Amino acid sequence: MTAPVADAVPLPAVARRRRLPPVAWVLPIYAFLFLFIVFPLWRLFADAVSTDEGQWTVRFLLDFVRDAFYQRALLNSIVVAGGTVLGCAVIGFLAAFLLVRYDFPGRALFSYLTMLPIIMPPLVGIMGLVFILGRAGTVNVLLMDYLGLRAPVNFIYGWHGVLLAMILHYFPLITLNVVDGLSKVDASLEEAAEAAGARGLRKVLDITIPLVTPGFISGATLVFILAFADFATPLVVGVQNLIASQAYLNIVQFVDRRLFKMGIVIGALMAAMAIVFLVVARRVVAMREYAVVSYRAVERRPLAGPWRIAVPAFFTTVLTLAFLPYLGVALAAFGRAWSLTPFPTRFTLAHLDAVLHLTPIYVINTLRWSALAVAIILAVGVPLGWVLARSTVPGRGLMDAIVTLVLALPGTAIGIAYIRAFHFPLPLVGVVLSRLWIIMPLVLAVRRMPYTVRATFAALLNLHRSMEEAAASVGASGLRTFVDVTLPLIWRGVLAGALFSLMFALQEAAATILLFLPGWETMTVGIFTFYTSGTIGQAAALGFVLILLCAATLYAVYRLTGARMGGLFGSGGG
Amino acid sequence: MQVRLTDVVKRFGPVEAMAGVSVTITDGEFFTLLGPSGCGKTTTLRVIAGFYDPDAGTVHFDDTLMNGVPPAERGIGIVFQNYALWPHMTVYENVAYGLRLRRVPPAEIRRRVEATLEQVGLQGLGDRTPGQLSGGQQQRVAVARALVLNPRVLLLDEPLSNLDAKVRARLRSEIRRLQQELRITTVYVTHDQEEAMVLSDRIAVMDRGRILQIGTPVDLYERPASLFVADFIGTNNLIAGTVTASRDGQVVVETPAGPLRGVARGALAPGSRAVVAVRPEHLVLQREAPGPLDVTLAGRVVLSQYLGNVVRYELETGGGIVVLVDVHDPRRHRLLAPGAEATVGFAATSALVFPEDRQS
Repeated sequence: MTAPVADAVPLPAVARRRRLPPVAWVLPIYAFLFLFIVFPLWRLFADAVSTDEGQWTVRFLLDFVRDAFYQRALLNSIVVAGGTVLGCAVIGFLAAFLLVRYDFPGRALFSYLTMLPIIMPPLVGIMGLVFILGRAGTVNVLLMDYLGLRAPVNFIYGWHGVLLAMILHYFPLITLNVVDGLSKVDASLEEAAEAAGARGLRKVLDITIPLVTPGFISGATLVFILAFADFATPLVVGVQNLIASQAYLNIVQFVDRRLFKMGIVIGALMAAMAIVFLVVARRVVAMREYAVVSYRAVERRPLAGPWRIAVPAFFTTVLTLAFLPYLGVALAAFGRAWSLTPFPTRFTLAHLDAVLHLTPIYVINTLRWSALAVAIILAVGVPLGWVLARSTVPGRGLMDAIVTLVLALPGTAIGIAYIRAFHFPLPLVGVVLSRLWIIMPLVLAVRRMPYTVRATFAALLNLHRSMEEAAASVGASGLRTFVDVTLPLIWRGVLAGALFSLMFALQEAAATILLFLPGWETMTVGIFTFYTSGTIGQAAALGFVLILLCAATLYAVYRLTGARMGGLFGSGGG
Repeated sequence: MQVRLTDVVKRFGPVEAMAGVSVTITDGEFFTLLGPSGCGKTTTLRVIAGFYDPDAGTVHFDDTLMNGVPPAERGIGIVFQNYALWPHMTVYENVAYGLRLRRVPPAEIRRRVEATLEQVGLQGLGDRTPGQLSGGQQQRVAVARALVLNPRVLLLDEPLSNLDAKVRARLRSEIRRLQQELRITTVYVTHDQEEAMVLSDRIAVMDRGRILQIGTPVDLYERPASLFVADFIGTNNLIAGTVTASRDGQVVVETPAGPLRGVARGALAPGSRAVVAVRPEHLVLQREAPGPLDVTLAGRVVLSQYLGNVVRYELETGGGIVVLVDVHDPRRHRLLAPGAEATVGFAATSALVFPEDRQS
């Protein structure tokens, strides 16, 4: 017979610890969210409906609504944002469907590359497009020199240029969400449709598309808000008649109080829109989100005949367009006195030298603010992710809503809100935050925190609770369990989220442009001011460095996670 | 309608999921494909459904060749293991979908869907979404969706495996009742031999892409053709040894538990390796036996499980071999405690002897 497994010598008892009530852990997080998100937003909304003397009034709202100029601008913005969503939906759906369902030459490579446009800030993207497609850009010069075209073709100046730059930048957000949805569709759902008699397009329309709609909607609302609120991109190609551009121009001028107020009203409008969209998206997604467990993925079908050529050609075209700006930025960054020729005739390191050695402040500031922002994000976001996934403290739902709101809240709105909220001495401490450099990393941290929170949350959901319960059952305290069991199992996911936060902090081109004071300039500020003042070589050089930094960050994410991160980009909720 | 597979081969890369399957399922029959996971039973079902095209061999429905015909044109109804109800449609819409695609007039759709929902006991639940239904109800919707198109063949892929035991037993009887009412040719896939025995007119036992035996539940239980089937269907004591003598269709096998005798199933020359299979209910305690026993085994009780209608003993015999012994209706039986010595035996006609399967 078998001997007893362990002898009966009693073990020393596990020490009992005094425990803080869980709410105590959460209080600093509450405070952070309140002070840096809820309070500024409240200030923004309050300022939009009150005079400088603190009288409540709807006068400014009425002024805004009645002003034909703003009506026009609002309409333009909606058209541009709507057009961006439409364009992204067509390309994003098509790309996702082809990548998930079919096999063709280069599929794996394309699937990596479709993700890449996200690493380029739209501000840099449109600048790059101008170098290639602008009036004196490569394409027009070639057309005029070799095809005898008299006047340059306007590919880029105007709304169509804004649309092109935005679609090329944002379509991966839709692709990611749809890929995520498609890979969750169980094969038998479509087979059941086939058995019922639905084939081809019928099956896709009736079964497949409705099943991926929730993912699509959460991606599409995000794209709409981001496109709606971007002011820097349109200004680069001279489009001022958009609501976001007006908000920026109104806020940065110090002459006209009324215009300034209009800027605030627009900021409030953007914030309100983000909130409304979020609620709607959540409703729709909750109504239509199906807890489907995929037993068996739909098999990937090899493409045959002409499709084997057509599909890679489609990806090549889209990606070539998406990568044109990179080429433009690189050429301009190293070109010397580039004009009137398709490509620079002489090359130089002077621009790069200028932004890295002579005035390295842009690069240094960007790295400094972003690194600090990530530190703040890790300190607040990881505990927050844990609270959302694991605890039952009161206010969890609200915190979750705030995190998702921040994801959808345009940088323009947050920037304006911070200008208003932190322009006065804070109660109790008496500091004017908007005059301290810490405001830069703070605003970046707030803006980019959701990626880390969501990544932590997702990693924790994948980690079965019993792992932690097992640790507790053998005597580990809460913190011990977290350090010994939880952290080793989720750090990859958390780090991937933090790197995303870092990448988007590096790219921030709205809140920081609104908030910087002399000496705090970031790379995007530098690009914007260099470009709009005509110092194009240095703008391009900064853009080039920024792209390299973002690419390196994204590469690190890929190495960590493979490429499955669709859930990070969506307004539909964690 | 008759379903006939002839020498069907289906490969997935290097794996032969079907290695030459031939079977004829007669009209109105409840036919079950039974086997362990990976044996090729689901592949066979999906070849009949038309989701897979065979790499070789033919599929006929009556006399029509079905190779290459898409599922919707075969006149099949299929129920998937995970039900595969479309979550974005209501119960009614799920069932009506196939009719809508066939452009059936709306009034006729309504009539048919409601009749079918009633048939499966779901009247009044048409407005629910699948997410609001229990597992058993979802299963009924899946069955309704398969039946509403009046299929000529009903295909069920482990339809009960995700349900708890009670619901499973009830749905099992209902599926059988429906099938009897409709007299529809039905192919059922399961790995649960009890389910197969209860439901089927005939069962095909599959392993490694081949059909090992086709027969009625009684055939398979009482006359298994191979060691695999003897082991897979019901419970059997399997004792390996070497054949020492052979006479009148019976062989004597020398085993660590002593010499055993049974009916030879297959070529068993003296000196060859063999396995004796004897079911627990055929083993009786010597002191309770009505007459002399052909074969006896002495041993010691190591475990006794009282189940009410039966007592199951684990008896350790010579060579450390443990045999299961079932005593039915144990009211007149004096229970043996673990450690007690006991001698059991069986009639040589109740034991089967198979050549040892070299593969396992």
